[in-house]
Amino acid sequence: MKKNILPFVILCSILTACNKFLDRSPLDAVPIDKYLNAEGDLAAYSANLYGQLPSHSGYGLGTFALDNNSDNQAGSSPNPLFVIGQTRVPQSGGDWDFSQIRNVNYFINKVRPKLENGELIGSTANNEHYLGEMYFFRAFIYFGKLVSLGDFPILKNWITEDYDVVREASKRRPRNEVARFILQDLDSAYHYMKETPPASNRLKKAVAALMKSRVALFEGTWLKYHQGTARVPGGPGWPGNTAAYLANFSIDLDAEIRYFLTEAKEAAKIVADNFPLYGDYESMFNNENLSGVPEVLLWRQYDTELTPAVNHFVVGYIQRNGGGNSGYTRSMIESFLMENGLPIYAANSGYQGDENYEKVFHNRDGRLGYNVLKTGDLLTTNALLTEYMDENRNGYFYRPPITEADENRSVTGYSLKKGLTPDPAQGPTYPSTTASVVFRSAEAYLNYIEADFELNGSLDANSDRYWKDLRRRANMETDYNITIANTDMAKERDLATHSGRNLVNPTLYNIRRERRVELAAEGFRLRDLKRWRSLDLMQNYVVEGFNLWDKNYELYTNPDNNLPKITLRENGVNNPNVSSKNDSKYLLPYRVNSSNIAFGGYNWNPNKYLNPIAFDHFRLTTEQEGSTDYTTSSIYQNPGWKVETNSLPEGD
Amino acid sequence: MNFYDQAIGWLPCIQPIVQKRIVMRVQLLLLSLFFLILQLQAYDLKAQRLTQNANQKSLENVLKEMNRQTGYDFLYNAEQLKKHAAPVTISGKNMPLEELLTQVFDQQPRLSYTIDQKTVVIRPKRIDLTQKEQIIVQERIVTGQVRDENGQPLSGVSVLVKGTTIGASTDQSGGYSIEIPNSTSVLVFSYLGYVSQEVSVQGRSEISVVLRAQISGLEEVVVVGFGTQKKENLTGAVASVDMKALESRPVSQLGQALQGVVPGLNLNVSGLGGELGQTLSTNIRGTGTIGQGSSASPLILIDGMEGNMNNLNPADIESISVLKDASSAAVYGSRAAFGVILITTKSGKEGKMRITYNNNFRYSGPTNLPNQLDSWRFANYFNDAAANEGVAPIFNDETLARIQQYIAGEISTTTIPNGQQWHFHQQANDNVNWFKEHFTSSWSGEHNIQLNGGSDKLQYYFSSSYLDQDGILRHGDDNYKRFNSTAKINAKVNKFIDFNVNTRFIRFKLDNPLYSDMNGLLYHDIVRIWPMMPFKDPNGHYMRNGKLIQMEDGGRAVTNNDNLYGQAELVIRPLKNWNIYVQGGVRTINQNKHRFLNPIYEYDINGNPLALNYSGDYAVGATFAETFFDNSNFYTSSIYSDYTVEKGGHLFKGMLGMNTEDFKTRSLGASRSDVITPEVPEIGAATGEDRITSSTLYDWATVGFFGRANYSYGGRYLFEANLRYDGSSRFLADQRWTWLPSFSLGWNIANEPFFESYRNIVSQFKPRVSWGKLGNQNTNAIYPFYLTQSVNANAGNWLINGSRPTTAGVPGMISNYLTWEKVYNTNIGLDVALLGNRLMANFDYFIRVTDDMVGPPAEVGAALGIGLPPTNNAKLRNKGWELMMNWRDNIGSLGYEIGFNLSDNRVKVEKYPNKSMALNTFYDGQELGEIWGYETQGIAKSQEEMDNWLSHTSQSVLGSNWGAGDIMYKDLDGDGEVNAGSNTLNDHGDLRVIGNNNPRYRFGINLGATYKGWDFSAFLQGVLKRDLWLDGPMFWGMVGNVWQAAGFEEHLDYFRPEDTESIFGPNLDPYYPRAYMGGRGSKNQNVQTRYLQNGSYMRIKNVQLGYTLPESYTNTLHMQRIRLFFSAENLITFSKIAKMYDPEAVGGPWGSGKTYPLNSTVSFGVNLTF
Repeated sequence: MKKNILPFVILCSILTACNKFLDRSPLDAVPIDKYLNAEGDLAAYSANLYGQLPSHSGYGLGTFALDNNSDNQAGSSPNPLFVIGQTRVPQSGGDWDFSQIRNVNYFINKVRPKLENGELIGSTANNEHYLGEMYFFRAFIYFGKLVSLGDFPILKNWITEDYDVVREASKRRPRNEVARFILQDLDSAYHYMKETPPASNRLKKAVAALMKSRVALFEGTWLKYHQGTARVPGGPGWPGNTAAYLANFSIDLDAEIRYFLTEAKEAAKIVADNFPLYGDYESMFNNENLSGVPEVLLWRQYDTELTPAVNHFVVGYIQRNGGGNSGYTRSMIESFLMENGLPIYAANSGYQGDENYEKVFHNRDGRLGYNVLKTGDLLTTNALLTEYMDENRNGYFYRPPITEADENRSVTGYSLKKGLTPDPAQGPTYPSTTASVVFRSAEAYLNYIEADFELNGSLDANSDRYWKDLRRRANMETDYNITIANTDMAKERDLATHSGRNLVNPTLYNIRRERRVELAAEGFRLRDLKRWRSLDLMQNYVVEGFNLWDKNYELYTNPDNNLPKITLRENGVNNPNVSSKNDSKYLLPYRVNSSNIAFGGYNWNPNKYLNPIAFDHFRLTTEQEGSTDYTTSSIYQNPGWKVETNSLPEGD
Repeated sequence: MNFYDQAIGWLPCIQPIVQKRIVMRVQLLLLSLFFLILQLQAYDLKAQRLTQNANQKSLENVLKEMNRQTGYDFLYNAEQLKKHAAPVTISGKNMPLEELLTQVFDQQPRLSYTIDQKTVVIRPKRIDLTQKEQIIVQERIVTGQVRDENGQPLSGVSVLVKGTTIGASTDQSGGYSIEIPNSTSVLVFSYLGYVSQEVSVQGRSEISVVLRAQISGLEEVVVVGFGTQKKENLTGAVASVDMKALESRPVSQLGQALQGVVPGLNLNVSGLGGELGQTLSTNIRGTGTIGQGSSASPLILIDGMEGNMNNLNPADIESISVLKDASSAAVYGSRAAFGVILITTKSGKEGKMRITYNNNFRYSGPTNLPNQLDSWRFANYFNDAAANEGVAPIFNDETLARIQQYIAGEISTTTIPNGQQWHFHQQANDNVNWFKEHFTSSWSGEHNIQLNGGSDKLQYYFSSSYLDQDGILRHGDDNYKRFNSTAKINAKVNKFIDFNVNTRFIRFKLDNPLYSDMNGLLYHDIVRIWPMMPFKDPNGHYMRNGKLIQMEDGGRAVTNNDNLYGQAELVIRPLKNWNIYVQGGVRTINQNKHRFLNPIYEYDINGNPLALNYSGDYAVGATFAETFFDNSNFYTSSIYSDYTVEKGGHLFKGMLGMNTEDFKTRSLGASRSDVITPEVPEIGAATGEDRITSSTLYDWATVGFFGRANYSYGGRYLFEANLRYDGSSRFLADQRWTWLPSFSLGWNIANEPFFESYRNIVSQFKPRVSWGKLGNQNTNAIYPFYLTQSVNANAGNWLINGSRPTTAGVPGMISNYLTWEKVYNTNIGLDVALLGNRLMANFDYFIRVTDDMVGPPAEVGAALGIGLPPTNNAKLRNKGWELMMNWRDNIGSLGYEIGFNLSDNRVKVEKYPNKSMALNTFYDGQELGEIWGYETQGIAKSQEEMDNWLSHTSQSVLGSNWGAGDIMYKDLDGDGEVNAGSNTLNDHGDLRVIGNNNPRYRFGINLGATYKGWDFSAFLQGVLKRDLWLDGPMFWGMVGNVWQAAGFEEHLDYFRPEDTESIFGPNLDPYYPRAYMGGRGSKNQNVQTRYLQNGSYMRIKNVQLGYTLPESYTNTLHMQRIRLFFSAENLITFSKIAKMYDPEAVGGPWGSGKTYPLNSTVSFGVNLTF
């Protein structure tokens, strides 16, 4: 018997030894329970989320080109959102994405209990700060969802992969609840974050307040101007009306609007009162280091000495004769007031017309000169790919490159100047290292004024002070009442004169004008137009550039200083490069070639105020897994859009 | 069947006379790790002197002593010697050999001797015969030499007088001597693995023969897992590679020579094409897993240890077996689920030292380059496309005029100033064909030398080879060098113990420009560079866009890789038929890769240098030096034992064993920026930021216990069973172990008695069947069950406190239940040999099911916020067949051979968690490789035609602004609209399966002929059916914006209306739709039938002509063999694929076809044997 079990015993001991031999665990990776326990872990985890904040990167004009999607600026290609038949329900992807939300929720739910139990290593104030950053990021991510999709699921924790759990978690909440959730997160962020961050270029308390004013103003004005449409919870045709789980939903819209506007005002005041405007508007956008500028609450730093280098190419694109695939529209340029505070059309405004740059810029709001290039502006102190230069190789702006290839074109003839520094080390094709502004307090000034007026129909003393501060910094007449009194709404060439089909109050319009001008080329415009519902009247809307055919064409056909002549070929001939002078004396960038999709002008479909949710998301949330009855999905589509890949919105 | 004997590779000859041979010895004096220094005692045979003292010693012992002292061979029949020898008494000091022999044989009344060169032949005196008869007897002695086709002497060849038991065998120099009963006798020469030959003596006294190798002979021994097996007795699907396929092939890797040789062994060009250092991807019998959570590559064993076949020296290889089904691969268990390639390298052979030297010199160039348009047509193509898109022209009139002037030779400047710099885009006017500018032809060479020999106690094999291969980049000089060295010693310690040592050292050095070390960015660039981009500026400096500055001056990426294999084996034979093998091996790979970036410059219009930025990742003027070290160690051990019993036609063989594998790797990369001078681009000579660029450390291990039982009866009924019990470190303890059984059966019908009368026609007819279960542990994650926090040190792009912060993200998901993939293999085969083994054929049909496959994660609602982890969630069924036929014969002195193989397989997804049957991932019942697309009606010739089409078939879902020159898609489901439905199997709208990109019917054809000294061979390889959807600028020309589009000759065949303003004139019946510079073209580029490519091809892979110099001439040079050859690779390709593509190199990391071209090569060289 003994003999019989011996091999068995040997086998067992071999197997035990083998199991030991096969027990391997990662040699250079950190188990999850050993992480997020110390200050450095928290800082690293949070640092990973900064990449989603808008900042310059890659080739092109960086954040300064964001407004190409609006009526302020134009890129070589028209914005397809404004062209009928160009926006469709995608198959997959899109804004219905929760990866960053999971990322943040993981952190908050791991770290907050540890923080409360005092289990974290390091400075408590710093650990709290990093938790605060994560609340900020959750709010920031959710704000993106609110703007693009409106109603959205509110997820405060990470979920498991069970089909029904995922399906349940996919249920959208009415947008006002989403907005309130965001404000709540921003309050937490404000509570936890420090006034001065633990390291440079990180978020701080004031940013949470600024963000809060932005979100609250957005939602307050959205609810106000879109009320009565399917885009407001409880409104006629609102898709949430058909969802069983929202059967008990009710909303007091007026109270809700009041709530958001009040919150916007209060939060904005915190920032505006503590972070004064910086005296030098221009230098906020072309310096490498903004640490001494209180107005700038958060900025991104660049450094080419690192490997791989961290840089962008914004400066080089501007230095290359003012190209860079953008340009301000005529509508934008005409929004700028005169130095004396009068609109350009007002009697005795002093406006000289727009047949050349000298006249356009004569006695205007200082910000025109800060934001827009004119002949004679210094581009670089060592001209390389800059065509017009003096004997010392200083390169100057002479004429906008309106016939250049897309990437180097000034699309409208009004070239961008914001961000320009004549530093030759950042010249064309070379990397740029100027700081990218992410949040600045001027927005809080504007948010306050607007919320105040929307709430009360009048301006309080703070609004008065803020507005005047903004205009003072722009070196222009501070008395905005002169402007309001001289505003003729019929003569304003601005979509924001209307909300829906209604003309707005001239004071409110001038608040919007101030915002448009102050925040030129900073990426605010399309969001503003959407919340004001100011795109409804964008019908057969032709994008206009500078006045080409009165005088400026001579810059090409008969240039100074032996610059090469450029043949202007009008629309109608073979290979045209400009629009026809019979069409308009202004350059019409999308009417150069008859095949252009926006040749006939921009046309807005109100269903596009909200983006569609991609088809796959419905397919993956049907009541029965794998069912083809997509109406049983726990998600409802946005109004006017179908649950069908590649389908167009109603009205397209 | 006696397995023991086969394992040793030596078979007793069939004649009863056992010849003993006493051979010259080589003494091994010193053994070192890589090289043995050896000294040969050479003898002047005629002047041989020796000392001999004997008193009544046996003649045999005296002869042995004489052999020991002189190295002379003594040839005699042992039985006859015993019968006729008389005792010897002799005394002599320093006597000449011949004198001593005379004295010895004076004492032998019944024996006489003759000396034939180095051999003393002893035979009985026929003293009872008359004098006359004696003379006849002497005339009846036939001598001669036996050699193989390469001129190598064959020792141990049996020489038999037909119809008698009189026989002899050849000595180590191939010589023999035999008495024949009469002058009309017929001699039969036979040798294992060679075709037997019968020669009628017809009164001759010297007969030398050449035996031809019988590669496909049934007696051939095939290496199988942990042993060998006679081909005749195989029951699994095992293919052995005809080693001729490897001979004199001007390729740098074994894989290239194996392509198409074995049906079911598939080798495919990878994305980087012919780039130096790239290897072919390998699979056996097609896709084994979907390949997202696990990989399924064949196990490649070199002398029993896993290794990289592509850096072996092909000349070192003795044999290659491909184990395709479960039963043959079963003993390798968990690592062999998708087949095994067993490579056995050459060992020393008993005999005097033989030296072989081979070389070849090669001239290579690209197989295929796209025809880039000249700058004039290119510019017009782009302008026309821009006009169609509705955007401004790319090239203005002034530039167009300059382009024309430059082509006409009216101006010589390639561009004009742009400020202080030169225009290099749309205002430049050069005319460069960038493909021709970047790729050229180059020379390469290879040398290898082998030494081989030994005594019966100790045999050695040494070899060395050197390969120096230049790539075909014109600018930047890419180069690959490889040095291989092998030392192999087999020692017989005593009757019971053998000890074998095998060391192999491989070093390669890959030296590339840094720019071509960026995962194919260069090939992406070349496709997109415009012909008017100046090659040089008007002052003669390179300009930036050609990437020439980067390639030539921008720095290098140099990889040095050392592979060291050390293996030792102890074989113990306690009893006859009982062997115990104890084996251990270490493989260590050390690699260092040095990369550096030097500053590069372009020049302004005044010739002043301007620092240039190398690529988007680096600042202008940036420099760095980086070194990356990688050390990986692999330890294997195995112990196994086999025992054979044979009784009355029953043969039983059993084997038991276990093996372990343990792998550990560590790597570190470090860099520093700001190199002080480009002369010394090293970290130590740089002053910038210190960076750790990478760091890895991981290990894994496996353990397996295995057993095998073979049973056969009468060589007719064959049975084999295997069982493994495998464990892997990649799974948690409760999921770790798995049992893997397999069985196979074979029936040698031709050996049945009832088959006897047909056996002269059908020498083999063997159906066989096998079934087995194997496991695959090869998950992509090394520790898939461990949830770890990923932390990226200094990786953030958002600078904090002025530097890159460390970042961390949310942990992924893992599955605790992850376990083995189970692979079930069923194989049915038939082996046939006909007409005296001249025609050999094998056929195999297989079904391979991969169950519990680690699939790509299932789809999940986006709200989860993360992808699911890989789990054992899918099932794949792979069915296919292989056919191999070979005919070999000779017509007089013309020997010829025709080989053909064909294989096919189809893979279906049987199970996959995709309940909505979405087409964007796998679904139940899907055939892998399916291409879903629309059916094309055609190109509308006019707006009217398009409007008519749209009146009943809406295409609005696919795009807007349809007009003349756009594609008309068919509305297959008749709903009046062309769409993809919900892109699921149940609702796929107008999509249908229009093709499949899985290669079907792969084939190889091998032709060979020998005539006198000449040999010729040709090898063709191809794929008979394959569809490809090719995309991107290589195919379409106009894709995306100006920076992504391309312009080749073929692209000009695009739609132009009757009233076109294009210089190319109207083209109403084009291949391509209207060209659009931008997004409007995408509506015409949906996957569709019209542009589906036929990816089948046939390629003349190799053609070879050799000439072996006549022996008479060779001998005067004291050599055994001289062969001169010419060999050409990838000579001609037949394919219907779009002309821009090579049908084998359609991939590319930056899009289809953007890759390093494959090579066509011509070569010549010599094979010498001393």
